[in-house]
Amino acid sequence: MWKEIRDREVGKVQSNYFVNRIASDRISKIELSNNKDIVSPHKGAVNSLQVDLTEGRYLLSGASDASVAVYDVQRATDYEAGGLIAKHKSIFVVDKQHEHGHKYAITSAIWYPIDTGLFITGSYDHHINVWDTNTTQVIMNFKMPGKVYRTAMSTSATSHMLIAAGTEDVQVRLCDITSGAFVHTLSGHRDGVMTVEWSTSSEWVLVTGGCDGAIRFWDIRRAGCFLLLDQSQSQLGRRPPILKRSMATKDSTSKPYTKQRAAQRKLANGNGTKQSPIGKVPAKGSARQRLHPGMLSSHDRATAHYGAVTGLKITEDGMYLLSAGSDSRLRLWDVESGCNTLVNFETVRLQTSKPIQLATTQDSALAFVPCMRTVKAFDMWTGNTSVTFRGHYDCVNCCCFSLQDQELYTGGNDRQILVWSPSKLIPDEMNERPAEDQDNWSD
Amino acid sequence: MEYEEPGGGTKVRALIGKATESTASEVDPRLLKAIKSVVRYSDSELRIASQTLMDLMKRDHSQVRYLALLIIDELFMRSKLFRTILIENLDLLLSLSVGFRRNLPLPAPPSIASILRSKAIEFLEKWNDSFGIHHRQLRLGFDYLKNTLRYQFPNIQANASRREQERRERERRSKEILLNKYETLKANFSTIKEEIHSTVDEIGECLDILHSKEEHMPLDALDDEEFEEFRSSELRQIRLDSLKEGERVHENSENKVVFDALRELYKLLVSKHFASVQEWISVLVRVDVADSRFRDSALKEFIDIRNQLQPLKKKCEEAGCALLSTSNDDGEEQDFWEDGKVGPIESIRPIASNKRTEPLDAASNSHRVNYVALGSSNKESNDIDTLGHKCKEVDPNSMKSKLLAEAPVVEWGSSLDAWGSNRIVLANQRGLELESHWGRVDYDAVIPADKIAELNVQATLYREQQIEIQQCHAPLRKGGLCERRDLRVCPFHGPIVPRDEEGKPLNQSPSRDKIHIDLGTDLVEELAKQAVKNVRERDKEAAMKREVDKQTLKRAKLAKIREHNEAVLRNAALASTSRSAAISGDVEATNEENLLARNKKQSLSSMLRKKVTSKDRIAQKLLNTRARDATITQQTLSDDAVYREAFPNQW
Repeated sequence: MWKEIRDREVGKVQSNYFVNRIASDRISKIELSNNKDIVSPHKGAVNSLQVDLTEGRYLLSGASDASVAVYDVQRATDYEAGGLIAKHKSIFVVDKQHEHGHKYAITSAIWYPIDTGLFITGSYDHHINVWDTNTTQVIMNFKMPGKVYRTAMSTSATSHMLIAAGTEDVQVRLCDITSGAFVHTLSGHRDGVMTVEWSTSSEWVLVTGGCDGAIRFWDIRRAGCFLLLDQSQSQLGRRPPILKRSMATKDSTSKPYTKQRAAQRKLANGNGTKQSPIGKVPAKGSARQRLHPGMLSSHDRATAHYGAVTGLKITEDGMYLLSAGSDSRLRLWDVESGCNTLVNFETVRLQTSKPIQLATTQDSALAFVPCMRTVKAFDMWTGNTSVTFRGHYDCVNCCCFSLQDQELYTGGNDRQILVWSPSKLIPDEMNERPAEDQDNWSD
Repeated sequence: MEYEEPGGGTKVRALIGKATESTASEVDPRLLKAIKSVVRYSDSELRIASQTLMDLMKRDHSQVRYLALLIIDELFMRSKLFRTILIENLDLLLSLSVGFRRNLPLPAPPSIASILRSKAIEFLEKWNDSFGIHHRQLRLGFDYLKNTLRYQFPNIQANASRREQERRERERRSKEILLNKYETLKANFSTIKEEIHSTVDEIGECLDILHSKEEHMPLDALDDEEFEEFRSSELRQIRLDSLKEGERVHENSENKVVFDALRELYKLLVSKHFASVQEWISVLVRVDVADSRFRDSALKEFIDIRNQLQPLKKKCEEAGCALLSTSNDDGEEQDFWEDGKVGPIESIRPIASNKRTEPLDAASNSHRVNYVALGSSNKESNDIDTLGHKCKEVDPNSMKSKLLAEAPVVEWGSSLDAWGSNRIVLANQRGLELESHWGRVDYDAVIPADKIAELNVQATLYREQQIEIQQCHAPLRKGGLCERRDLRVCPFHGPIVPRDEEGKPLNQSPSRDKIHIDLGTDLVEELAKQAVKNVRERDKEAAMKREVDKQTLKRAKLAKIREHNEAVLRNAALASTSRSAAISGDVEATNEENLLARNKKQSLSSMLRKKVTSKDRIAQKLLNTRARDATITQQTLSDDAVYREAFPNQW
């Protein structure tokens, strides 16, 4: 480590490379943190966790007892056992007692991506609430047609402020915070929508996974979906590694879809959404033109999973999509081609009845997947289990990876929020520990 | 180290296997020690041991799991490496030992399974207390079992600290009480002393009086010359005794008054002063005050007083004051009744009332007379009465006498000693540090003042007024009057009516008698009716009984038939059953390769086998192909039997 620092100092190593080396090194050492406890005030299963995107400091958790809490994960509220264990108590809790609080379980709690002044909760009581963090008051309320399973806001959006909501209903709704109205209804799924996820590369692209096993891609500027993932469509291996390149060129290329994919597209909805500017009527096959563009794929019954799609996660570069289904399968999709990459993830058992929240590391090397009572870290490209995190005593619902601290937060049905962090390199204040853990052979 | 060779793990594996193969409730200490010593010096052995133990925990037998858990605990408390290895799979270990997962219940012998569970919970708490801060998993597991699954933990540490807290609290409170007592003592030390001194003086005076009276007794004057004549030791002893006996002042009519006073004073001395002095001494010994000057002086004085009191008490006893002079009185009582005089008792009454007006010294005497007359039951009340009388005489129109006139009459007793006092008393501290032989003793149990008052409330029994039963006074034929005492009706002379000197009734009331007779006739009619009814009922009962008898006879017959049927069936089924049993036995015997285990009286499998129900047995047999046919026939037979039982006549 010291050698690396010196190399960095003399300029042998690029700073970017150095940072990545350190981060991945830390990630590989993640284990259950003994000296960081999040004191969960929830009386029910923790369904959703998110660290805020601006500071990486405030953890938002939503639980099935209709409570939301926010924790400061960087500054502990108090210490126990002689400063050995840092306790992070919630900064505030909103529960059923709140006059505008949710009545039933909260399934989704997300931060407003721009700052920590707002957060959004979706609940089984059919409502999506937008909260002011500082006053803990509801400032906006959307009534949905059914139980809300998942809400999402685009992290890369600059021109819209839409909450995508997946509900019991077959339609995905987009709620606009600025106007307080539904601006779009995306129909195509044949069953409730378990997960929604915004593309990280395009602010207009939304990915949804439904209980019907379909994963659909939507361009929110248009009606209908433009891509439906089919598990029978597969390609061998991923493309040549473009991770580094894409990261370097991320800002310049806002649309990585502009490659020659029309040839590969078998789903041939022929719209070429990405290529055509908005509003321009595609001048292609006349037979298809008669149909509404969105309706084309709605006739397609291709499925990505047998059973419901319970979790979706787009990699940081927006090139790949990891999906988890109630068939206990994990699939990695190439977003560009819409094909299954056939990465064989080791057989696991996944929770089937609830949407699960997946997480990936920054360089998308590892994917954290809640597998019943454990969380497994899979190597994204080989599908091998690299670590199994055991600590929860009941099913894990969600995990959230803090890119800044390389910490993993997991929440489960046992009402706990566990912190998994890299073990300390230099165990500081070793001599001040109250009672050192050591052998004690009396005979 | 020899154990670090490849394959060295077999030793620890064998040891652990051997240790968990017993049916005892403890791991063999020698084996345990061997395991520990093997594991201590070798990390690889420790890893193997942990692996082996986890494998054993997965065994489908609670006893094996239990013993494995005991070994795990031993190693867990000692080795850090073992802890880190084991904690990786803590949830598995807990689910195997506590059985909190519904799909993983604890295996077979349920009694041991429950022990296993309680032990596991206890261990988890212990581990959490000792190593919880180093291992988040331990804290999580503990928290989950405690707060989510609501398991009852023994809570050892919290209990201990609570007990400590309680003890401190108790000490503090007892100290406070002692200090309070000490303060009160400080306040009225002089009065206490005075009281005691006055009593002592009075006793001394009484004794003086007695002895001065005895001065001129002739026996006392026997000189020493005579003493010389008694040579033999026995005789001398006898003489000494008789001398002593002679020296004793005997109670007689002259000194009765003095004796009574003495007795009362003695009682006061023993029951109140002596006890209080003892108590004060113990208080002074135990109290912890900054300024110990008063304490020391008071303690000294109290000890002096006690030393002074002891000879006095002895003297009193010598003088013939038994602690309770009732036995003496009983004798007198006996004498009185043996006389068997049926004299008019009213004659005594006026005497008693007269005597009440006597001065203080005579009071006790008077009540003695009363006592003789009316029996021991109302002795005390009389005593109080007399006291009241006395006071009235002393100062007839003072405030005190007025209050006394309307004050309730209370029996004399030790409760009066604590009259109106407002003290808290420690229940279990009497100056003796007794170990709690009969169980846990709550040292700080305090009896609050109101409770003390409640306890000291003297139960007053309702006493019937002594009814003077009138004599019949009917004139007798041979002259004189009938002396029978009956309540209402004399069997010879009819109802008792007031009569004059010659026995003539004063006023006649014939109407009352008549009513009485009328009532009588009514009663007769009633009785006759009742008799008729009784007879009829009895008849009915007899009829019913006959019916029942008939039924039972019938039932017995049916039962006999059924029994016969069953016997036939059993005989039919016997052959097949025995064969299958023999087969299963064979299978088991071949399974038991281990001769040792076979020789053991009680093996692990036997523990499991013990609880086999008939259902299981049937299932076993069903599995056995050769026995299947037999079982089927047997089951159909049993079905038949059920059918037949329902209709026993058709067989």
